[in-house]
Order: sequence, then C-alpha cells, then structure tokens
Amino acid sequence: MEILSSIARNYYYMVAIILFVIGTFIMLTHANMIKKVIAMNIMDASVFLLFVAIGYAYGGEAPIIREGSDVVYVNPLPGALILTGIVVAVSVTAYALSLIVKIYRYYGTCDYDEICEIRSQE
Amino acid sequence: MGFADHYPALIVVVLFAAAFLSPLIYRWAEKAAAPVVITALMLALFMSSSLMITVQQSGPVFYHMGGWPPPWGIEFKVDPMRAFILLIMIGVSLWIFIYAVRDLEHELKKEVIGWYYTLYALLVGSMAGIALTNDLFNLFVLMEICAISACAIISIKEDRECLEASFKYLILSAMGTGCFLLGVAMLYMATGYLNYGLLQLELAETLTLYPRNIFAAAALFIAAFGTKAALFPLHVWLPDAHASAPSPSSAMLSGLVIKIYAFALFLIFYQVFPRELLDLIPLNEIILWLASLGVMFGSVYAMLQTDLKKMLAYSSIGQIGYIFMGIGFDHNLALVGGFYHIMVHAVTKALLFMTAGTIIYATGVRQIKDLAGIGRALPLTMLAFTIGSASMIGIPGTGGLISKWYLALSALEIGRPFFVLIILASSLLNAIYYMPIVISAFMHQEDFQFETKPVPRFMLTTMVVGMVFIVLSGFFSRPVVSMLEQAANYFF
Repeated sequence: MEILSSIARNYYYMVAIILFVIGTFIMLTHANMIKKVIAMNIMDASVFLLFVAIGYAYGGEAPIIREGSDVVYVNPLPGALILTGIVVAVSVTAYALSLIVKIYRYYGTCDYDEICEIRSQE
Repeated sequence: MGFADHYPALIVVVLFAAAFLSPLIYRWAEKAAAPVVITALMLALFMSSSLMITVQQSGPVFYHMGGWPPPWGIEFKVDPMRAFILLIMIGVSLWIFIYAVRDLEHELKKEVIGWYYTLYALLVGSMAGIALTNDLFNLFVLMEICAISACAIISIKEDRECLEASFKYLILSAMGTGCFLLGVAMLYMATGYLNYGLLQLELAETLTLYPRNIFAAAALFIAAFGTKAALFPLHVWLPDAHASAPSPSSAMLSGLVIKIYAFALFLIFYQVFPRELLDLIPLNEIILWLASLGVMFGSVYAMLQTDLKKMLAYSSIGQIGYIFMGIGFDHNLALVGGFYHIMVHAVTKALLFMTAGTIIYATGVRQIKDLAGIGRALPLTMLAFTIGSASMIGIPGTGGLISKWYLALSALEIGRPFFVLIILASSLLNAIYYMPIVISAFMHQEDFQFETKPVPRFMLTTMVVGMVFIVLSGFFSRPVVSMLEQAANYFF
C-alpha cells in the first residue's frame, strides 16, 4: 500500500520512465526512419519532463525574489538546463531529418527493411 | 588573473572560433581556410602544452566560467591525466588535419570543403571540452556537439553508404545521450549538484539514502558511454560508420572520438562516483569482461572482412577493449597501460587509415585480396602500414607493446593471470589478420595489377611522422610512462 501511495504521489516520475522506455523501444525496433526520429524526441522529452519534475516544489512560485515575502520557490536550474537540452534535441532532429531526405532521394523509401532489400538485390 | 589563466577556456574558444570562420574564409579566399584552422589547432596545442607544464609543476588547475564558482557556474579542471588526453587529442588532430587538406580534394566536392573544416574544428573543440569539463550538464552539451559533428564528417561525402551509416550512428548515439541525460537526472535528484567534485562528496553520503538512484545512474552511464565508445555488444554502428567515411574522418573517428568517451566514462567512475560505490557493485568487473569479449570478438570479426577499411574499423572495436581493460582492472599500472594505449592507438589507427586512404587515392583499391604486390608500387605507404600493423600486434620496438606490457603486468599484480592469456590471444589474432596483408604486399611474385597515381609529398610526409612517432614510443616510453604513473596515483 505504501508503495502505491508513493507512486501516486510521484506519478510524473513514472510517466517519464514509461515514456523513456517507449521511446527507446521504438527507436531500436521500428524500421521506419521517421518513426525513429519521433521516438528519439519522445525519449528526450521524457528526460526533460523528469528533470523539470525534480525541480518542482509543491505550491512553489516562479523564482523571482521579492522583498519581505517567504514563499517557496521552484528550483530554476533544471528549467534553464532543459532549455539548453531542447535546443540540442531540436538540432539533432533537424540533422536526422535532413539525412532522411537525402536517403529518400537515393532509395525512394524511408523504411530501413526496404532499403536493405534494395541493396541486397544489387 | 593573467592571460595564461584563461587557457582552459581559450582552447575551446579558439577552436570554435576557427570553426565559424573557416567557411567564410573558404568562400572569399579559398587557399587561406586551411592555414586558419591549422593556426587555431597550433594555438590550442601551444596552450595545452603550457597547461601540461603548469599542472606538472603546481598541481590541478580549476577554471570558473565567467568567474562564477560552482555550484552556480561551470567549472573546467585540468589535472595531469586530463592534460595528457588534451595534448593527444589536439596533437593528433593537427597531424590528421595536415593529411586531410590534401586527401579531401579528391574525396569531397569542392564547395563543401570549407564546411568540412568547420565540422573538424567543432569536433576537436568539443573533444577538448569533454576532456576539460568538470560539470555533468556541460559534458552533455559537448557530447552532443561532438556526436553531431562526428556524424556530419561521415555524411558530408553524401554517397549512399555514408548517409545510411551516419544515420545509424546518429540514432544510436542519440540513444546514448538520452541514457546519459537520464543518468544525470538521477544523480541530480539524489544530490542537487552537477559539479564532479561536489557530486563526489555528496554521493558518499547519499549512497545509503538513495542507493537505487545511484545504481540506475551507473548502469545508464555504462550503456551511454558504451554505445558511444563502441564497447563490445554496443559496437554495431561502428564498422559501417568508420569504414564508409572519407579517410581523414575515419582516422579521426577511430583514432580519437571513441577514446574521448572512454575517458569521460573513466572520469565519471573515478571523479564522480565515490569509491564506496565501486566496492558495492562490480562496475569495474562488468567493464573488464565486456572489454575482454570485445578484444576477442573484434579481432575475430576483423578476420572475416574483405574490405580494408572495414577490417581496420573492426580492429578498432578490439583495440578500444584494451583501453576499457585499463579502466576495468582498477589498478594504477593498468591505468598507465590503458592511457598509453590511448596515445599509441590514436596514432597507429590514424596512420593505418591514412595508408588506406593513400592506397585508395593512388590506386582506387579497397579489397584486401587486390593488395597483393602493392609494396612495389607504393613502398613508403606499405612501410607505414607494416609499422602500424606491428604496433597493433605489439611487436617489440613499437608503442603497442608497451601498453600491452603494462596491462599484462597489472593483471599479474592483482592475481588474475587469465587476462594475460586474453591479451596474448588477442595479439595473436591481430597478427593473423594484419600479417598476411603485409606479407602479400611485399612478397607477392607478380606485379601489382592496378594503375598507380603518384602520391602527394605532403601525405607521405605526414605518414613518415606517424611512423617515427610509433617507433619512438616503443623505444623511449620512460618519460611518458613515469608521467602517467604519477597521474594515475592521483586517482588512487
């Protein structure tokens, strides 16, 4: 029972891990390259979610210091880090998609299995 | 603060600045682009040697970005081991770049060469950053720069194999960084720090409170760096990527890029995780066994190859195993062996890929069976190949012997002679696939049957430099080894 309630309290950690596993699984098993790139984004997003969730405090406010108030602040560092992380993920996605465009021009397909078939016939 | 105090940051800054300038310069003054990058690399080399001297004299140097001390700011750290790796990374990439300037002319389209210089400088800059940084999130950013530029120097050739190989590399390396970032999140959750030194202090205390977090982080780091450094069962991307790339890129990727990740893993094990963790779960043992498997299987796969560059790529999987063995033994002599091997293998594998590149440049031959009798057509190139192979096998008089010697010595010292057998057996396996090429190149009865173009003197000179270095590292290993011994004591 205790485990269930602690899961219920920290459900966002579970969501992050489930998303991570979904992302990794699709990335490694699906043959479609576009799906691989989408899965890569799901995986990155899951880690970003986890990171931001770590920094959150219940009832916390935006970390702007005002004189004479003693409210709880949300940790700003994970947010700042994840902003960088998102930029990195976007650039990797852009590069991966541009590679897919080039591969598509050679083979006329985005499917890895079909590419292998075409190559084995040559 | 004097100017020299800013060297750790300036090394990275100079290289990145060269990266952004080179396509512009290439557009307006084609001839000036390569000298600019060479100047930047030389400046970086000068700064890293001066850092090396400072570190040897007065101990580790810390540099705070923008004057903000940790935990707020990003910290760079230079200790003897990092300075050594930095020196190798920049020195060897300068050497490869000089070769690349001539070789690229025939391998790439003319208009992308300026962009190649950009990617090259970015790659070197990010590797220098990985060697220097003392902050986990900064490491993540630099690893992503390194991964994208490493993929891009493969795909810049734009033929089918290169595009496919670099897509495969990109996806697997994105998986690696995903795992790494998740591991960082786990550590941040448990401690609230990202700085290596602060993490190590804090983790020693939190280990009893949140052991699961920290175990998960350790597992994720092994998966992440294992994928990126091609540790044995995670090596699947390497052969295609390294074999299809333009030869200077192959030399760079096989010689340096996979090693910087092995070094990053080493730093995390010894400077982030507290010693108690290594006693609690057998991280070293896992790495040691995977490395031993890699050493054997890499060589076995290499034997089955018919393409020269593919064979060299598979051989890298075996050789990275020695470096991981050096980390896995958890003994200071093994560290000396492993790090000496980083240096020797960086030069040797780069030299072998250069000879392969020269053979392709001069004759267009890629298949191993067509190389019979090539020693008469390209004597100096094949001499370089012979010396490179000798160092791979570990024949006395080459640097390859020294690293294997220290690895075997430490295996005996900690009482595990089984691993000496593995090192011996893998050396024999190396001999089985390198020696036939050398023998048939020089001893074959008939003449070489393909047309041969003359090789530019520039390319030959760079290969001679590599040969001399390998032989010197075999005979005069003492200064480097004693320096490494001191540096290794720093970790125990």
